[in-house]
Amino acid sequence: MRRLLLACRLLLAAVPVLPLAAVPVLLLAAVPADAARIVSLNLCADDFLVLLAPEQVAAVSILARDPSLSVVAPQAARLKTVRADAEAVLALHPDMVLAGAFGAQTTLALLAQRGIRIERIGAPHDFDSIRAETLRLAALLGEPARGDALLAAMDRKLAAVSSRAPARTPSHALAVQPRGYTSGPGSLTDAVLRAAGLIDIGAGRQVSIETLAARPPDVLVQAQSPAFPSLATDWLRHPALAAIPRRTVPPSLLICGGPWTADAVALLAE
Amino acid sequence: MIRLRAPEIRLGDRVVLRDIDFAAASGTLVALCGPNGAGKSTLLRALAGLLPKCVAADPRHVAYLPQNARCAWALTVAEVAALGRIPHGDTAAAPIERALLACGVGHLRRTRIDRVSGGQARRAMLARAFATEPRVFLLDEPTADLDPAAAHQIMRLLHDTARAGACVIVVLHALDLALRYADRMIVIDQGRIVADGAPGAMLPRAAAAFGLAHGIDPTPRLLPPA
Amino acid sequence: MTRWLILGIVLLTVLSLGVGAAGLGVPDPLILWQIRLPRTALALLVGGGLGLSGAALQGALRNPLADSGLLGIGGCAGLGAVIAYYWGVSALFAPALPLAGLAGAGVGCAFLLMFAGRAASGPSLILAGIALSAATAAMLALALTLAPNPFALAEITFWLMGGLEDRTLSHVALALPPIALGCLVLLRLGRGLDALALGEDAAATLGLPVGQTLRRTAAGVALAVGAGAAVAGGIGFVGLVVPHLLRPILGERPGALLFSSLLAGAALLLAADLLARIAPMVLPLAQEPRLGVLTALLGAPFLVRIARRVAP
Repeated sequence: MRRLLLACRLLLAAVPVLPLAAVPVLLLAAVPADAARIVSLNLCADDFLVLLAPEQVAAVSILARDPSLSVVAPQAARLKTVRADAEAVLALHPDMVLAGAFGAQTTLALLAQRGIRIERIGAPHDFDSIRAETLRLAALLGEPARGDALLAAMDRKLAAVSSRAPARTPSHALAVQPRGYTSGPGSLTDAVLRAAGLIDIGAGRQVSIETLAARPPDVLVQAQSPAFPSLATDWLRHPALAAIPRRTVPPSLLICGGPWTADAVALLAE
Repeated sequence: MIRLRAPEIRLGDRVVLRDIDFAAASGTLVALCGPNGAGKSTLLRALAGLLPKCVAADPRHVAYLPQNARCAWALTVAEVAALGRIPHGDTAAAPIERALLACGVGHLRRTRIDRVSGGQARRAMLARAFATEPRVFLLDEPTADLDPAAAHQIMRLLHDTARAGACVIVVLHALDLALRYADRMIVIDQGRIVADGAPGAMLPRAAAAFGLAHGIDPTPRLLPPA
Repeated sequence: MTRWLILGIVLLTVLSLGVGAAGLGVPDPLILWQIRLPRTALALLVGGGLGLSGAALQGALRNPLADSGLLGIGGCAGLGAVIAYYWGVSALFAPALPLAGLAGAGVGCAFLLMFAGRAASGPSLILAGIALSAATAAMLALALTLAPNPFALAEITFWLMGGLEDRTLSHVALALPPIALGCLVLLRLGRGLDALALGEDAAATLGLPVGQTLRRTAAGVALAVGAGAAVAGGIGFVGLVVPHLLRPILGERPGALLFSSLLAGAALLLAADLLARIAPMVLPLAQEPRLGVLTALLGAPFLVRIARRVAP
C-alpha cells in the first residue's frame, strides 16, 4: 500500500515537469527549415505537401494513397501514412501538422498542447483562392519557388483553354455528384465549368432522376465512379439518364482545389 | 371406442405414466380423477396422439379440447365452431348449426368470443369439438373456472352426448360432478391407474388419492337446476 | 372488401404513374417506363409482401404485435443484402442481392420460430424480436463500416429507413420472383393459421401438420420480406398496421385476412410512397422524406394503441 502511494506521488510530481522538459527540444528542432518534419492529416493538405515539399514529409493521410481521390497517389505509395490519432502522430515527432479546415478538433488540441505547430489549410473555391492558398503554403513550407512554378503551369493550362474557346454557343452543363447532389454557384466545380466555357446550371440542390430526365442538360459532368459498389453511385447509372451526354472527370482533380484543378478544366474543354 | 397400452409414457426424461392399459367404450362418460400432477392430462394427450411415439388419432373421429382452451383471435362463436370442420375439409353448415344448438350457443353465433361469458366461451369451444362429429371426445377440465350452474350445464350436455353413443373422456377435478354424471371413474395417482369402476364405488380410493376422508354429509347442498 | 381494395390499388397506380418530380400528368414515355413504373411496381410488390407477411406472422405466432420489421426479420434481410452488395457479390451475379436478403430473413425467421416454440408467450417473443432488431441494426452498421467502400456508412439511412426512389426495372425483375413465390406459399396457409388460433395442440388434433405450417410461414415470410428489403431497404410497420386495419372490417379469422392483407399492404405502401413524392411539392422540403420514415410515423401510434389493448 505504501509503495502504491509512493508511486502515485512520483507520478503526480512528474506531470508538470514533462512539458517544461519538452520545450527546449522543440525550439531547437524548429530552427532549420530543411529538417522540418511535417505530418498531414487531410487529403487536400497531402496534395499540397507532397507537391511543394516532398523532402519534409513525415507522414500523409491514408487517403493520399487512393488514386481515385489523391493527385499524389504514386508518390504517397512510398510515404508513411498516419491516422488522425494523437498517439500515432506524436510517435512521429513532427514539427508541424497540416489539417483540414474542420474536424479532428480534440486530436489537434492535444497535439497543440504538446507544442506542435498546427496549420489548417483552406478550401479554395475558385482560381484566385487557389493562387492565394498555393502561395501561402509555399511560403509556410519554405518553398516559394516551387509554389510559383506550380501556379505558372496552372496559368498556362488555363490560358490555353481560354484562347482555344470558340465563339459557338456554350453548352448548359450540370455537374452531378452521387445521389443527385449538384454544385451551386460559388463552388469549385462551378469555377471549373465556367473556366471550361460551359454554363453551369447547377443550383447546389439535390435533383431527382425524374427532373433530370424531364429537363436534361446539354452535358452531364460527373466524377469517375469508384470501383466499389455504392447505392449513391448506382444512381448515376439509372437507365433513364443513359441518353444524356456525359463528361467524366477524375474525382481527385475536383475534391481539393489546387494547381492541378486546371487539368479538370482542360479535360472538360476538349 | 378408444384404447391405449403403454408400459410407460415419458415427457422428456421423466416417466409420467406407468403400466397403462386403458380402454373406453362407446356410449360411456369416463371421468379421469386424481390430484394435481398425477398424470391425467398426459393420459388425455397420449390418447389424442399428441405425445411423441403415440399413434396419431384420426382427427375426424377424435376431438380434443385442451385445458383452458382459448382462441387467440376474437372469432365469432360460429367461426370457432366451424374450425371443427377442418379435419373434414369442408364448412358444411348443418353440423356446425347442430353443434351450436347442442351446446346452447345458437343465439350467439354472430357474437365475438371475447364478448361472451366464460361459460358461453367454454361452450363455444365445445361446439368446435361437436362440429367435428367425432366418436371420441377428449376434454381436459371442461368445467374449470365456471360457476356451478354453468358447470352442471356442460356436464349434462356431455352426459347426453355419451347417451347418444359417443365415448366421452373428461379430466375432472370436481369429484361431485364426476359422481353425479360419469358412468365410470378412473383414479390416477402418481402416474398409475389405481382405481377404475363405477364412480360411487371408486370414491374411497379417489378420496385416498387426494388425502381426503369420505362419508355421508347431511348438510344442505347446491343441486343442479331441475 | 377485396373489390374495394383492388379499386383502390388501380386508382393509386394511375395516380402514381401521374405524379413525380417532373410534375403532374402523363410524362414522356422514358419517365413513365423507366422511373415511375418501376417505383410503382416495387411499392405494390414490397408492400403486398410486407402486408401478407404481417398477417401470416401474426396468425402463426398468435400475436397481434408480430411484424417482420418489429421482430428484426427485415433487419436480418437488410444485413444479408448489405453484405452481398458492398462486397461486390451482387455486381458479379445480380440475383445474389435478393438471395442474400432472403437468406438473412430466413435466419431471422428460424431464430424467432425456434424461440416461439419454446416460449410462446407474447411479451417474450416481442423481446426476442427487439433483441434481434438491435443486434441486426448494430451488425448492419458494422458491415457498412467494414465495407471496402469508405463511404458505405453514409448509406445506412437507406438500409435502416428504406425508400423506393430511382429504382429501375431490373430491381423489379430481381424482386418479383421471390416475392411472388413467398406470397403464394403464404396464401395457401389460411386453414392452418385458422387452426393455430386454438393453440398448437388443438391444431395438431385437428389434423394440421403444425411444424410444417410454421416452417412454411417462415419460408414465405423470408421470401417476401427478404427480397423486398434487398431492393427497398428497411420499411417497417406495414405488416403490423395492415392486419389491424382489416380486422374490424373482416373479422379476426387469420385465414380471412391473408389475401386482403396482400392487397391492403400494396395499397398502403403505394399511398405512402405517393405521399413521399407529393410532400416536396407542397412543403418547403429540399428532398423527399424517406418512405421508411413515413411508414414508421404512421405505424408507431398503432403500436402504442395495440400495446395498450394487449397489455393485461
